[in-house]
Parts: sequence; C-alpha cells; structure tokens
Amino acid sequence: MHITLKCFATLSRFSPPDAEAFPAALNETVADIVARLGIPEDELKLVFVNGVHAPLATPLADGDRVGLFPAVGGG
Amino acid sequence: MAAFSAVNDAHLEERIRALTQTARLADGRELPVLPFFFVQDLARALARSRTREKHPRGQAVAHVERVALALGVCPERYLRNHDAYSLVEQLRLLESGAALVGLGGLGGYVLELLARAGVGRVRAADGDEFVPTNLNRQLYATRRSLGGYKAAAAAARLRLVNPAVDFEPMAVYLEEADMLKFFQGAQLCLDALGGLADRAALLRQAGQAGLPVVTAGVAGASGFVATVLPGEKGPADYFGAGAGAEDSQGTPAPAVATAASLMAAEALSVLCGRGPRLAGKMLVFDLNQMSFETLTL
Repeated sequence: MHITLKCFATLSRFSPPDAEAFPAALNETVADIVARLGIPEDELKLVFVNGVHAPLATPLADGDRVGLFPAVGGG
Repeated sequence: MAAFSAVNDAHLEERIRALTQTARLADGRELPVLPFFFVQDLARALARSRTREKHPRGQAVAHVERVALALGVCPERYLRNHDAYSLVEQLRLLESGAALVGLGGLGGYVLELLARAGVGRVRAADGDEFVPTNLNRQLYATRRSLGGYKAAAAAARLRLVNPAVDFEPMAVYLEEADMLKFFQGAQLCLDALGGLADRAALLRQAGQAGLPVVTAGVAGASGFVATVLPGEKGPADYFGAGAGAEDSQGTPAPAVATAASLMAAEALSVLCGRGPRLAGKMLVFDLNQMSFETLTL
C-alpha cells in the first residue's frame, strides 16, 4: 500500500522523493514511518492523518494522507 | 467611546441624509454613499461644536461614520467593502475592539488590514524597536523608522490610514500579569508574536478572559493560522516554548503577509458577527508548493 506524506517547514529535508506515493506496510503506524524517515522525535510536534490531528501510534491504511509538523512560530 | 448628544445626532442624521449620494455599482445595484469629504466636514463641525470636551478628530469621524451606517448609508471609504461586509456588519466592525500582541511582521500587516476595514478600537503592544533585519518583511519598518519603537511607527501610520480607529499603542513587552487588563474592551485577541516563548501564556490569559485568539506562525515558505477558543488547545500548546523552524528557515515577506492576511480575514469574520471559521482548526500553507489545507486540531 501507499500513503501520501507532507513534511512541513524544516521537516521537508526528510521528505522522500516518492512522498506522493510512499510505500508503507499494512498496520505500519505513523511512528514507524517517522522512524523510517529518520525524523528526530523532538523535532516532530504535530501529526495529522487525513487532515485530522492524530497520535503517533495511529495505524495507517492505503491512501492515507500524513502531515508532519515541527514547531513553527515566526512572525 | 465619545458620547455625542442626541440633539446633535438628530441634526447630524439630517445633514447626512441631505449629503448622501447614490453610487451605481457595476451590476446595476444602487447604494447610498456619504462622500469622503462630507464625512470629514461633518466630523470637523462636530468636533468644533464639542470643543470643551476635546473630542479628538478621529473620534468625530468615527461617530459620523457610525451614524451614517446606522441610517443605511455607506461612508465612501468603505464602499469597496460593500459586498464583503453588509452595512450592518460594517457598523459592527466600527463598534468592535481587538487586542493585538506584536507589531512586527504579522502585526504590522494585521493592523493595516484591520484599520482599513474600519475596526473601531485596537489596542496593540510591542516593546521592540525596528532593526535592519525587520526590513525584509515588516510593513512599518523603513529606513526612517529604524531604531524607533514599532508601536510609535504603527501609531503614525494609523493616523495616515484611518484616524477613526481608536488606536492605543503600547511600547511594552506585555507581561502575563498585565494581559487581562490589556484585553479589556476587546472581543478578540490577535497573537502576532514572533517566536514561541510567550504564546502559551497569551493563550492561557485569553482563555481566562473568555476571548478567542487568532494565532499564526511562519517559517520559510510555510505557515499556519488558527483560532483558539477559550479552554481549547492551540498550536502553541503542542509546539512548546523552544526554538521554532523559523530560526533556521527565516521569515520571508510573502509567507508573513499571507499569514497576516488570513489572520485579518478571520478576525474580521469574528468582529463583524459571523463567528470564526478556523475554530479548532489550523489552516496550513506552503508557498513553495502553493498548497493550502485546513486541518482539524
């Protein structure tokens, strides 16, 4: 199965070239994906799955859209 | 708010009716309009007749505009708002109050847009002075304003843009203990702070005061805008008080102005009586990809 990944701001440096159709195993969680991408835990502040705030332990399904946010506070 | 007598108001209404013209819109609709210079004249006359109370001119202008709107007459300066805000909503904006924290990148643009929209009262706090690194994005940072207080530059600008706005600038860094007092008279708080250190305190105190907070943050080409209702969690509650992505990606003008425009649109939606559109949500954008998405927090 495949998911869509969107890594915002400084996390974009971890965005894989195939972010639009990123291969994921059935029942892989957001945390698994984050670990696979090498994103440091303390840099990731907010996770969204299909547009809704979700915990890291959320298991993923085919076609899910995952958004990953660092802290953003510039003004 | 300036109190003008009912006798004067009856006379003022009569004068407004006599001076009202009809604007024909492109689609054939007609709208009663009070031309800009008549508003000025009426306000001057009003201010003259009340000299002992020393009403500032801006307050007299605001009063004429409010009386005109209550009569269903659009002051010319707001004519191009006619389809975005009904005359009733425009009047609500003139009678509304906002508390703005930060007059830098976000705050400058937000203030400019609120002032042009005719928000009645804005209290704003920022203890900063302009430095050269502000010039890339901050609306009121100019060669001339460098080294001066941002609050002073904002006040000078508002006198030029819309003197009817009752603007109260404070060249101070707002302490948490002073926030409740700062919020008095406001229906809405705008978090235009730079960095994350002070945002949690602001959300906490606005929650205490029962005020919704329109908040935003920018880093590089991306940013977010959200509305936090009292007692609910906002983005800052998840981000913590440490370093933000802006420390490495900076704050270029297009992202800052985009976030500020979205903040202003949301604030005006609340202040004109329609309510927030981003409550419990977070609108995120990425100007590198030209993507916008509204997420549920």
